[in-house]
Amino acid sequence: MSVELMQSAVEGTVASGRLLECRNITKSYNGPIVLDNVDFSMKRGEIHSLVGENGAGKSTLIKIVTGVTNRNSGDMIFEGKAIGIEHSKVASQELGIAVIYQELSLIHGMTVAQNLFLTKEPRMSALPFIDIRKMNSLAQELIERYGFRLRATDIIDDLSIGQRQTVEILKALNSKASLIIMDEPTSSLTSTESAQLFSIIRRLKDEGIGVLYISHRMEEVYDLSDRVTVLRDGHKVAVLEKEQIHPAEIIRLMIGRNLDERDTLHEMRRNDREVVLDVRNISAEDKFTDISFQLHAGEILGIGGLVGSGRTEVVRALYGIDPLNSGSVVYLGKPWKPHVSGSIRSGFGFVPEERRLQGIMGAISITGNIGITNLDVVRKYGFVSDKKELELARKAIGLLNIKPDDPVVPVGNLSGGNQQKVVVGKWLIRDLKLLIVDEPTVGIDIGAKEEMYQTFERLSAAGVSILLVSSDLPELIGISHRILVLRKGRIIKEFAEGKVTEEDVLRASSGLIEGDGK
Amino acid sequence: MSLDKNKTKRLLENFRLFFILLLLMAVLSLMSPSFLTLANLSNVLWSVCIIGIMTTGFLYTPITGGIDLSVGSMASLSAIIANALMNNAHIPMVPALFITLGFGILVGLVNGVVTTKFRVPPFIVTMAAKTYLFGIAMLVSNGDTITIMGPESFLKIGVVKVFGLPIPVYIMIMMVLMSHVLLKKTLFGRRSIAVGANEVSAKLSGVNPDNTRIVAYILSSGAATIAGIVMASLTQQAYAPNASGYEFDVITAVVIGGTSLLGGSGSVVGALIGAVMVGFINNGLNLMNMPASYHPLVTGAVILVALILNQGVSLPAIVRKQMGRPDPNA
Repeated sequence: MSVELMQSAVEGTVASGRLLECRNITKSYNGPIVLDNVDFSMKRGEIHSLVGENGAGKSTLIKIVTGVTNRNSGDMIFEGKAIGIEHSKVASQELGIAVIYQELSLIHGMTVAQNLFLTKEPRMSALPFIDIRKMNSLAQELIERYGFRLRATDIIDDLSIGQRQTVEILKALNSKASLIIMDEPTSSLTSTESAQLFSIIRRLKDEGIGVLYISHRMEEVYDLSDRVTVLRDGHKVAVLEKEQIHPAEIIRLMIGRNLDERDTLHEMRRNDREVVLDVRNISAEDKFTDISFQLHAGEILGIGGLVGSGRTEVVRALYGIDPLNSGSVVYLGKPWKPHVSGSIRSGFGFVPEERRLQGIMGAISITGNIGITNLDVVRKYGFVSDKKELELARKAIGLLNIKPDDPVVPVGNLSGGNQQKVVVGKWLIRDLKLLIVDEPTVGIDIGAKEEMYQTFERLSAAGVSILLVSSDLPELIGISHRILVLRKGRIIKEFAEGKVTEEDVLRASSGLIEGDGK
Repeated sequence: MSLDKNKTKRLLENFRLFFILLLLMAVLSLMSPSFLTLANLSNVLWSVCIIGIMTTGFLYTPITGGIDLSVGSMASLSAIIANALMNNAHIPMVPALFITLGFGILVGLVNGVVTTKFRVPPFIVTMAAKTYLFGIAMLVSNGDTITIMGPESFLKIGVVKVFGLPIPVYIMIMMVLMSHVLLKKTLFGRRSIAVGANEVSAKLSGVNPDNTRIVAYILSSGAATIAGIVMASLTQQAYAPNASGYEFDVITAVVIGGTSLLGGSGSVVGALIGAVMVGFINNGLNLMNMPASYHPLVTGAVILVALILNQGVSLPAIVRKQMGRPDPNA
């Protein structure tokens, strides 16, 4: 078996065959162009990284290759076969393209073997029964061929995230995939698990399988890649060969050089007003360690870092959703034990990262969504004053220019931007002292984005402190007065004064602090 | 779409259920001349009472995203307990009924705590409760059908009429009003809807989902207990399977009334109309002298049609969807 694979790998190299060839791929989702004449190619047995900032077009390109969405124009050739515009997910799987998603797609409660052979279970000769013995031995054979530390009969639920990922990879191998796409595979892995994954990826390369690797972590891209394709704003900016790959260079290409328009805003400034929140050495198991900072009145403190760096976890803990293991917090000069309803009463506001899942109640009216966080304001004993609730809703609608301005419309019917305005608006009508916002402008249009920034600046001018978590670098730099960068659960860098560029923040997030280029 | 058109649409949606009820009444009165008589209508109202009282509390379990399948068993058991307290232990009526209610509240508390704190799905928890409550009822009643002999004042609840209507009807109306106010006007009502609509969002807004749900199960069991007491007084009987299967009538009434079993929305008045419809259907079948073996079939079919109508589904829309043409209104 392995000899065959070796042979096919050799044949692949001999033919020096391109595995995947995309030419002039263009895609727009009703209006804005997300991919503009993008070329992309992959060789057999190559580890090829695709990098770019949020919104550069990486996911769209992957979706086009895997048939999740269709391109508008351009050619695509996979293993010498032309793929028509009408591509599909099923067709791409049959061709041998597999994706390891961030959210794993394994079925819980089933064994490794059952997952590997799902819908392809070996049958007892001519009978409609599954030959479990054979299935388990085939699965075990596959596991051993790659030297994974798994058993065919392990139940998925008992495996670590890293092990589950190897099952996903095995699943791809079992379906004879020749291109495996990995989208941020290390975001929830420990460093040991990541190291194991990298050795697996190199193993796949030796077997002649192409690995398309997507990651924000520059050191991984640097360590692994044979080539790197950089996307920016829907364009292919560069394809770097092995010897050209350098983390600082990739970051420079990702950001481009045309970022002076908001340059004046990139100036950081210290704030000497009274301290609102004093965080001292807080830690939470596995999430973040030894975090300390002070937040001043009217200050907008940005928290940067990669997804999984612990930024969301820190603000959740400060608001009182998840517990702290150690450290202390002082709020308005008094010792503070974070607790959600206490936080709300004491002037906190919280805008969570996933609007649809955590922020809104889609089926409920604007009034209902605003009322639920303001029950303490609209209550008269145990009763709710409808009049007062409606008043609050109208006030929030007016403050943020929410459209439609009809308070009875279910929030689920609003556009993304207006939904987010409701989630922010319900705090603005309170006596707010500290607003925590996590990725406040994801998936909302530019107009609403601008209004959101103006709102934050208005709040700051009125003395409200803001903790801003964001992956959007221009946003983070543009509106923060000061920036903390987290990496692996610790504060790795503070930008408190002087000019800050996206490159600075990205380098800090990737662990390449000033002048420490690899 | 203009604002006016939106408003008319909402108004129509609110009254759709009422129109369906009128339609059902029209059909029934055409099929049986004795349907639309005062005697028969008050008779239906009388029989609707039990289901109606149960829905006022039960409603909060689907609103918070759960379900309570134990209400039928709870009602049967509370009748048996009330009788045992009054006629065997000779406790005066008022304290006896309050002890019974206390027991019902305790059952609701157990259902609520097991669902929220031990993370057992409510379907399973309340199904178990349905079974063990029936078991307790069998033990306490020895499996017999008990005829309730007294006290006099207790039996009067079901017999005495005020302004031509039996007292249970007033109990039901009072509970419907209370439940309506609770849902629409109180903090608890808002919290229930929020927990059912999006638990995470509710939690981030300072609502305690577990406590809200526990209260919902207490209300459900409590209302079922009151329904059981009223039933005992009306029928002057108590036996373990007396109200078995009522949970399905209650679910039907609540769903017809526009409460989503997925949580986040509900209507007390809608549930009452639903209970009346369930009562009318049963009553209509009796009036038409239809053999009893046909009743479940017809009831099921009529309920299905009522539910489809209440979804506001129009035939042209379905045809369009099946033909794969886009909906011009979408």
